[in-house]
Amino acid sequence: MTMRITVASASYAALDGLEAQSAKLAKLQAQMSSGNQITTPSDNPTGTVEALQLRSQSAANDQYGTSATDAVSWLSTQDSAYSQLVTLAQSARTQIVQALNTGAGDSTSANAIADSLDQIRQSLISEANTTFNGRPVFGGTTAGGVAYDSSGNYVGDDGAVTRQIGPNTTVTVSANGPNIFGADNDPTNLLTMLTNVANTLRTSPTSLPSSTLGDMDAAITRISDAQAVEGATYNQVQLAQTTQQSTATSFKTQLSGIQDIDIADMAVQITTANTTYQAALQTTASIRQLSLLNFLN
Amino acid sequence: MSSSLFGMVNQAMTGLTAAQYQLSVVQQNVDNADTAGYTRQVVTQASVDGTYGTHNIQTGPGSLGGVTVVSTDREDDPVIDARQRAAHANSAAADTTATTLSGVENVFPEPTDQGFGAQLSTFWSDWSAVSTSPAANSGAREVLLTDANSLVDSLHTMAGQLNDMVTATTSSLNADINTVNTSATQLAQLNGQIAVASATGVNANSLLDQRDQLLDSISKATGATVTLAANGTATVAIGGQTLVSGTTASSMTVDSSNQISVGGTAVSVSSGSISSEVTSLSSTIPSYQSQLDAVANALSDAVNSVQAAGFDINGNAGAAMFSGSGAAGITVSMTDPNQIAASSTGANLDGGNALTASKLGTSASGPDQVYIALVGTVATASANAQQQQTVQDTVSSNLDTLKSSVSGVNYDEEVSNMLLYQHAFQASSRVLTTIDSMLDTLINHTGLVGS
Repeated sequence: MTMRITVASASYAALDGLEAQSAKLAKLQAQMSSGNQITTPSDNPTGTVEALQLRSQSAANDQYGTSATDAVSWLSTQDSAYSQLVTLAQSARTQIVQALNTGAGDSTSANAIADSLDQIRQSLISEANTTFNGRPVFGGTTAGGVAYDSSGNYVGDDGAVTRQIGPNTTVTVSANGPNIFGADNDPTNLLTMLTNVANTLRTSPTSLPSSTLGDMDAAITRISDAQAVEGATYNQVQLAQTTQQSTATSFKTQLSGIQDIDIADMAVQITTANTTYQAALQTTASIRQLSLLNFLN
Repeated sequence: MSSSLFGMVNQAMTGLTAAQYQLSVVQQNVDNADTAGYTRQVVTQASVDGTYGTHNIQTGPGSLGGVTVVSTDREDDPVIDARQRAAHANSAAADTTATTLSGVENVFPEPTDQGFGAQLSTFWSDWSAVSTSPAANSGAREVLLTDANSLVDSLHTMAGQLNDMVTATTSSLNADINTVNTSATQLAQLNGQIAVASATGVNANSLLDQRDQLLDSISKATGATVTLAANGTATVAIGGQTLVSGTTASSMTVDSSNQISVGGTAVSVSSGSISSEVTSLSSTIPSYQSQLDAVANALSDAVNSVQAAGFDINGNAGAAMFSGSGAAGITVSMTDPNQIAASSTGANLDGGNALTASKLGTSASGPDQVYIALVGTVATASANAQQQQTVQDTVSSNLDTLKSSVSGVNYDEEVSNMLLYQHAFQASSRVLTTIDSMLDTLINHTGLVGS
């Protein structure tokens, strides 16, 4: 005997079918309107966890990007300051060469050179106090506004301002004055040397030792070396920026693959589900109107 | 009854009455086609022997006495009923679990740009910003502290929502227990009426329909074991404890630790919505609450220990940023953004310590990972529950269809029966007319010879 189809069983079946179609359509519409494949975590538990991990990693990666941008600004500021410092130091050297050559027999010109050296020294101090964002780039981590006071003493600290530009890459974007000019108590400190040379030129111009020139060269080399280190760091940061950007793109692509809907596919699915639902509604409505009663008089 | 002509009138009468009764049952079936719990009734009729010894041609068994209605039965299969009750219990448990977990899931609307996961990422980026701009009043410190407060607010909200889930589930549990107790009381009364009807031979079909509906309602809530006696009364037991026996109903109760008792004895409810509610209240939701507490504690511990390792803007050792424990108890105890220990060396603009804090976001034991694990657990549990719900609903609706195909009403069937009984009535009437005309012949047209 075939299964009896009763009023209730036909209703259950029709209702079950309609509800299933309607639920499917609602789910597809929720995905379409939100643009997300995952509208609640249970839609795809693994995908949800992956998406959260990717978002967390992507946020960390964005931090590297922000830090790298900041590092570039610091280093650029440093770089132009270094160039200025080298230029100033070289002009001081030229003055010293002149003083040595002329034998400094002329006290007037010796004094003029001494004055000029003093001015260069002031410019060097001023350049050494170059700031980025209100912070002296040669002052380490000092909270103060300058790296050198007006008399040429280092008032910064020996800390290093660092920026994390990659998962395992940290770069130093500041510099410490003593590494550029020499320690304050060091006789080869550029600022001290300029003071001493100027004093010698004023008091006994002839006693200016010829070794001064060698010391000057060493001082200039020290600045250039520091600039070279800064340049290398700059390149490193630029490389890290490129890596960071491609990593960011990769995260976005992965995240999109997990989260975002394929609109074309979704449109086809919705149309299909809609058609099925309408068909189910229509056939349910038309078939269930009939019974034996329709054909009896 | 005999096959005398007057006997035949009576015989025809039984046919008419039987056809009429059959039609009234058809009407009952059609009337109740969409009555919930109605079981289609069928009439059993049997031919009747003529009265022994009064017939002049054939007497005894097999002689003709017309038709009688033996019984009016419910088209019911107790085996299917039992399976249906069990399926309803499982389905109710699965439905309740899926609904509860979907509620829990809504507490964690991930993955979104506004979820707690995204908030945590923002918080760590804020630390990174402080490490870049650690100066007082740079704005970065203020933003960090504001976002710390937002994090704590979100934790409070989530803890509150989980608490609401507990409250809502407790209400559902109490409502279900009320339903069970009301149904049990009604069933005990019904048992009494059914026993009386059965003893006196009265048709108790509608009482039996009511009984089955009450059994279904108790089963949906508890997955109770049902035993039916021959007289139609039902005995109901839950976890081995009798809830209803004869006209006596015990009471189901729940204590503050969500232990269910029947008649004062603790029982374990293995199925039905109550079993799901008890599980949710005693283990599922509490486990999510403690995981959320673990998120709050991981946040507090990680940030506070980094704070303690650094120095604030004035060179003081870093103070704790968070205090209190658990998702509901955590607070931001820091009020002055300058207390944020950005420096790892002292009163300077070093950002090393803030940088360390900003890396907590990717730490394997950091709050992010604890939170992601929690969301993963909830999502998996909810997805499984939905799957289970679909499976159980399918089983349950298949049995509903099966039950309905046995016990339900089919119009076509009733209408064709109607035609059958109508014709039976007409035929019996025709027999009566024939007898009438035969009697007429005997009475009015015989004995006229010679008159």
